[in-house]
Amino acid sequence: MKEEKMISFTINDIPVEAKQGTTVLRAALDNGIYIPHFCYDKRLEVYGGCRLCLVDIKGGRKLVTSCTTTVQEGMEVYTETPKVVSARRTVLELLLVHHPLECPICDKAGECDLQDLAFKYGAAEGRFSGKKKKDPERLDAPLIQSNTNRCILCGKCVKVCFEHQGVGAIELIDRGFKTKVSAAFEETLSCEFCGQCVDICPVGARNSGNYRHVSRAWYLDDHDMPCPYCGCGCITTLGIREGKIVRAKGVQGRGQNDGNLCSRGRYGFDYISSPERLTSPLIRREILNNSSCSSNSATDIFEEVSWDEALEFISKRLSKITSEHGAEKVGAIGSQRCTVEDNFMLQKFIREHVQSSNVDSAAHLGYLKASKAFESVFGQRLKPVSWDAPLSADFMLVVESDITSLLPVWGLRFIESKRRGSRLVVADPKKTKLSRHSNSWLRIKPGSGTALINGMINVLLREELYNKQAAEDAAGFIELRTSIMDFTPEVVSGIIGIPAEELVNLARDYAASGNRIIAITSSASENTKSSSLFIAAANMARLMGDGPESIQVPAEHSNTMGMIAAGVQSGSHGKNIHEMLYNPDALKALYIMGEDPLVMLPDVIRIEDNLKKLDLLVVQDIFMTDTAKMADVVLPAAAWSEKEGHFISATGNIQKLDNICRAPGDAKPDWEVFSMLIKKMDKSADYLTFEAVSMEALLRTSAFMARLETCNREQEFVPADLRIVEEPDDQYPFILVASTILQHSGAFSMLSRNLDAIVSDPYIQINSIDAARLSIEPDTFVEVSSKRGSAVARAVVSDEVPEGVLFAPVHFSSSKINALTYPATDDGVPLVAARIAKI
Amino acid sequence: MKTHRISVMLCGGTGCIASGSLKLRDAMVEEINKRGLQDEVNVVLTGCNGFCAQGPVMTIYPEDIFYQKVKVDDIPLIVEEHFIKGRPVEKLFYKEPVKKKIIPLMRDIPFFSLQVLRALRNKGLIDAEKIDEYIARDGYQAAAKAITQMTPEQIVDEMKRSGLRGRGGAGFSTGLKWELCAKVEGAQKYILCNGDEGDPGAFMDRSIMEADPHVLLEGMLIGAKAIGANKGFIYVRAEYPLAVQRLRIAIAQAKEYGLLGDNILGTDFCLDIEVYLGAGAFVCGEETALMRSIEGERGMPTPRPPFPAQKGLWGKPSVLNNVETYANIPMIILKGADWFRTMGTEKSAGTKVFALSGAINNIGLIEVPMGIPLRQIIYDIGGGIPRGRKFKAVQLGGPSGGCMPESLLDTPVTYEDIVQTGAIVGSGGMVVMDNFNCMVNVAKFFLEFTADESCGKCTPCRIGTTVMLDLLTKITEGKGREGDIELLQNLSQDITESSLCGLGQTAPNPVLTTIRYFRDEYESHINEKWCKTGVCKDLCTFYIDKEKCIGCGACARACPKKAVSGEKKKPHEIDQNMCIQCRVCYETCKFDSVKIGPRSMREELGKKEEKEQTTDADHQTVETA
Repeated sequence: MKEEKMISFTINDIPVEAKQGTTVLRAALDNGIYIPHFCYDKRLEVYGGCRLCLVDIKGGRKLVTSCTTTVQEGMEVYTETPKVVSARRTVLELLLVHHPLECPICDKAGECDLQDLAFKYGAAEGRFSGKKKKDPERLDAPLIQSNTNRCILCGKCVKVCFEHQGVGAIELIDRGFKTKVSAAFEETLSCEFCGQCVDICPVGARNSGNYRHVSRAWYLDDHDMPCPYCGCGCITTLGIREGKIVRAKGVQGRGQNDGNLCSRGRYGFDYISSPERLTSPLIRREILNNSSCSSNSATDIFEEVSWDEALEFISKRLSKITSEHGAEKVGAIGSQRCTVEDNFMLQKFIREHVQSSNVDSAAHLGYLKASKAFESVFGQRLKPVSWDAPLSADFMLVVESDITSLLPVWGLRFIESKRRGSRLVVADPKKTKLSRHSNSWLRIKPGSGTALINGMINVLLREELYNKQAAEDAAGFIELRTSIMDFTPEVVSGIIGIPAEELVNLARDYAASGNRIIAITSSASENTKSSSLFIAAANMARLMGDGPESIQVPAEHSNTMGMIAAGVQSGSHGKNIHEMLYNPDALKALYIMGEDPLVMLPDVIRIEDNLKKLDLLVVQDIFMTDTAKMADVVLPAAAWSEKEGHFISATGNIQKLDNICRAPGDAKPDWEVFSMLIKKMDKSADYLTFEAVSMEALLRTSAFMARLETCNREQEFVPADLRIVEEPDDQYPFILVASTILQHSGAFSMLSRNLDAIVSDPYIQINSIDAARLSIEPDTFVEVSSKRGSAVARAVVSDEVPEGVLFAPVHFSSSKINALTYPATDDGVPLVAARIAKI
Repeated sequence: MKTHRISVMLCGGTGCIASGSLKLRDAMVEEINKRGLQDEVNVVLTGCNGFCAQGPVMTIYPEDIFYQKVKVDDIPLIVEEHFIKGRPVEKLFYKEPVKKKIIPLMRDIPFFSLQVLRALRNKGLIDAEKIDEYIARDGYQAAAKAITQMTPEQIVDEMKRSGLRGRGGAGFSTGLKWELCAKVEGAQKYILCNGDEGDPGAFMDRSIMEADPHVLLEGMLIGAKAIGANKGFIYVRAEYPLAVQRLRIAIAQAKEYGLLGDNILGTDFCLDIEVYLGAGAFVCGEETALMRSIEGERGMPTPRPPFPAQKGLWGKPSVLNNVETYANIPMIILKGADWFRTMGTEKSAGTKVFALSGAINNIGLIEVPMGIPLRQIIYDIGGGIPRGRKFKAVQLGGPSGGCMPESLLDTPVTYEDIVQTGAIVGSGGMVVMDNFNCMVNVAKFFLEFTADESCGKCTPCRIGTTVMLDLLTKITEGKGREGDIELLQNLSQDITESSLCGLGQTAPNPVLTTIRYFRDEYESHINEKWCKTGVCKDLCTFYIDKEKCIGCGACARACPKKAVSGEKKKPHEIDQNMCIQCRVCYETCKFDSVKIGPRSMREELGKKEEKEQTTDADHQTVETA
């Protein structure tokens, strides 16, 4: 990398150094010198519109805006000369000409830049009286509201939406004094509802509906916490009022997200105050009364009991089962959304006290699948992703991964990198945000990613573009070469549906780039990938001599990484989640913590059948999930923010969670339930406090995380083949692609009223040509079915999906797409052949 | 080429088309065919002749006879008398407005005779839609020279030595601008033409694009060669459909002749030019906003640096010149920098096109050597002020410019001299105002324009111009307060100092210059609530000077409200309660007996009548009850 020259200059006679090309404003802020500004944000291109950051440069003809002026050697900058102050005061005075002084009813009051600066510069002299603006407030969109009368037109909302967020939902419309921020044609705002425009607004022009007139800023206690949703591990600054979280915002400088949040992080926190929360331990009535119950409602099925009663029951039942059938008939499923401590205690309880090795989680079907595949080539598990990996890459290949939906804020790094000049290539049948922002979008057929990469490897080998030194001596090279022979560009072209020459060019571009990464997501809810995709990607990286960092596979949920590190994963002895849930008679008792297999995992009908056969099903969760409804005992858990603990993000950051809210009713932290249960089962055991649990758990996780950095065994190439389990046929002519979406990642998001306001009902995307052919009107209900089952949802006609493909989010319990899906075995791609029909 | 005994050069500029020149052409062709003269008389529809106020105009060659305000009914007469019998039609000749002298030949009319045509050298002489006619007038010779015989350095050097300064308004050295861009490394560069003429009252660019589109292409070819561009855009406002049409025809013809496209004139030099239509926002004449507009973004200026020469259109090095600038370039290359410098001054070389409008006899387009005094333009070429009124001010440089008073009329028209007065040469709009104009109102007019055209990006311009407009409006409505003038001046200074682009930085100029030269008018508006010109309705009282009134009744007949009454040959009187301050009486009176008093007089004069009025009103109330 080129050494950047340092420039020495002074600001207010203070010597300052900055890299060449830095603006005066940036240099000042970096050195703790505040220059007032409205339109500058470090994430955005320089705008130069507010004219507030004017400074005097010695020898200059006139004042200059410090945001547009780059530092020069020996420059003498003055930020508060009388001339500067006068010009700045005029700008403020002008803004106050029309800005309504309705601070008493403005949500922004107390943290409003205009308020603060007017206070500082005393610009309330009011030499001018002028026009006011009288636009009606726009309250018609979910969550995001706008009051253009207060707007000072700094333009940051428009720019953060377009440049940084890559959306462009709002624009400046009209001209001159009448200019205002609005969606095109003043229509109702329709966007991701990430709320970045709200956080970036320096005044009260863009507001969050959920915070409207809720609290004065000065009454809020700010508390930084990692977000409970995805693996990004963003730090959200929570505003607490009277023990309740009333808002979440991003603050620059806090966390690696550095102020950015997505809709889940900013608005999804309210799931914890859902009325659906469990408040008391429950035991199935028929067990208590020895009679069956015909009703389906939870209150009829279950009876509230005390913790002691519930734990006593579990303890006795478990002892009975282990003595009658052996401990290997007991299994447990951990949670990627629970803390390190919670998961640690679950596995400790099962392994040490029940003495069963059957502990696993849904990550087995997602992140761990990728990690193990990767390990077979690189000799080590996947490392945490690097937050900056996209930014330091020159070439980014994203294969069948909707990163900006699964890990939205990390996904923005790809867009930012592309904006800075890197090349972004997206191979995906579905039009995603990244495909829209890519330099090249290869609309490959669903599930064909492995063929694409094998095809690239074929070109690299044939044209000798690979790193010979790194590759030829390595084990398995000959086998790889042989296995790849058949994947000629022409053959692959037929499989993936992209012209052969595009594939050849892609391989050449990939080989010619300096710093390459391949980014792929791996989630249990996705059905377009098999292990072979990760193996193929790893092969290709190794072939080029690239290190393990060149494959970026993010852990999916807030604590996927921590859960695995805490020991919730199947070892060589125990049964994995696949065996536990899909093999009949594998278990007699199952303990599920914070997971809802009956919605989130494939082939729910099979799972349901198997769960019915259990002697004991314990579900410990924050609300009555579909799985919980089948349980014998349901235990109410404390949620994020109601307990202490740690999360480990996809980037490997160990982040602390604090107990800032009261859990509802009798809900208890998961770790504490196990502490109590251990005590209950083993009278001689000590009750473990949080401190003791946490210390032990963190020791274990740290050791695990350290091991990820080292190579366990020799690297070798592993041939990867593409096998699609189920192909469309006459009866089921469509391919169903399933995944989660931006606003919903599963359980929590469904309880959030805020997120529900954006996307509230299940839907199925169908291409417009297919829809026309089948006379499916937009927004009508359709039934989609496969060999295994069917679901009903609203039809969304959209060319985001190609012809012949249906896309459906899986997490709606009211429309179980997972009734149609199935878990892959023998490393096949579990695509679903489906049909769709009007109702 | 076929030769004809007579050539009719009928003006096909927008002004003349509006006054009916297309119908004239049809009538003329029909008449000529009817009389069997089609082989002898050639009718050419040319670009703008420049003498727009007299339109439709035509010139008959070889005699150089100039006909003005021609109507369709005149056509048989022209053909019969002039073309057949050889007797030019006297009633269509130009009449000199002051001495009423008849001048038959175009070259003798002062409007034309005092001009020096360089940028407009082909006006009225060629058919704008025929490349051959342009080539016949030495067209594309300069481009050929530049492309085949000159290096980019030589072109830049010639341009720098010529001293040509950008004719769009800022007056930056064209050669220097090219040099900056030529020095920047870059495989992709753009040569751009600014045809987004937005100043009210300026129409020279439109005229060049309509009358001589090829000169623009030739200038761009030379510029492209100099900076190393292979792609060009001409940004034209969509309100100029004729210019757009003719530019497109010209581009197609140049391509056909191998003068645009790949491997021009057998060299490896390539240039493709596209016309891009602007939606008519004034700010899109600002270079960075124009580039954003071509990129498909909202037309808003972006900060400089980076300068367009380094990072312009789509972030690539770009040069943007104005239409008139390009029109000057072929002759510089062909005849040399020294030839160009034979006109104009040291710092302002060459000629400049001005659009004369407002209170002046000869409204139209003129090209004069730089350095010519304003007085000569207004009185000799422009023919002075009509209707016997007095010169009051001339607004130079459009909304960014300033108003210059009588005392500055001897200022030579150069960039350096004009800027001293607070005005700017600008794009060459010259709006003349007579003593019937209120200067506060004039300032308000220009502020209305800039406030409306501000893009809204930067605070000082967006809100500052609106606040200034509010202040001016209040002053013209009689709500001005002491200190308002100083407030306007201070605010002007802040807006000039802190605005992002040229629009905001120059927007206060009309206010500043009118305060500088006509401060007394502001003061009388504010302090005496008196608009002495009677323009600001809230600040005047029209009354009749009984000493002077001879009772001719002209004002009474003209008054739309019948507010003037009086017996014939006896002094008349204006009923203040009925008067709507339309000023018609004042404009009608030939004896200077209608006077304009301050607002307060209205109440005084009104009171006298009120007594009678009140009794009348009482009666009416009773009746309605």
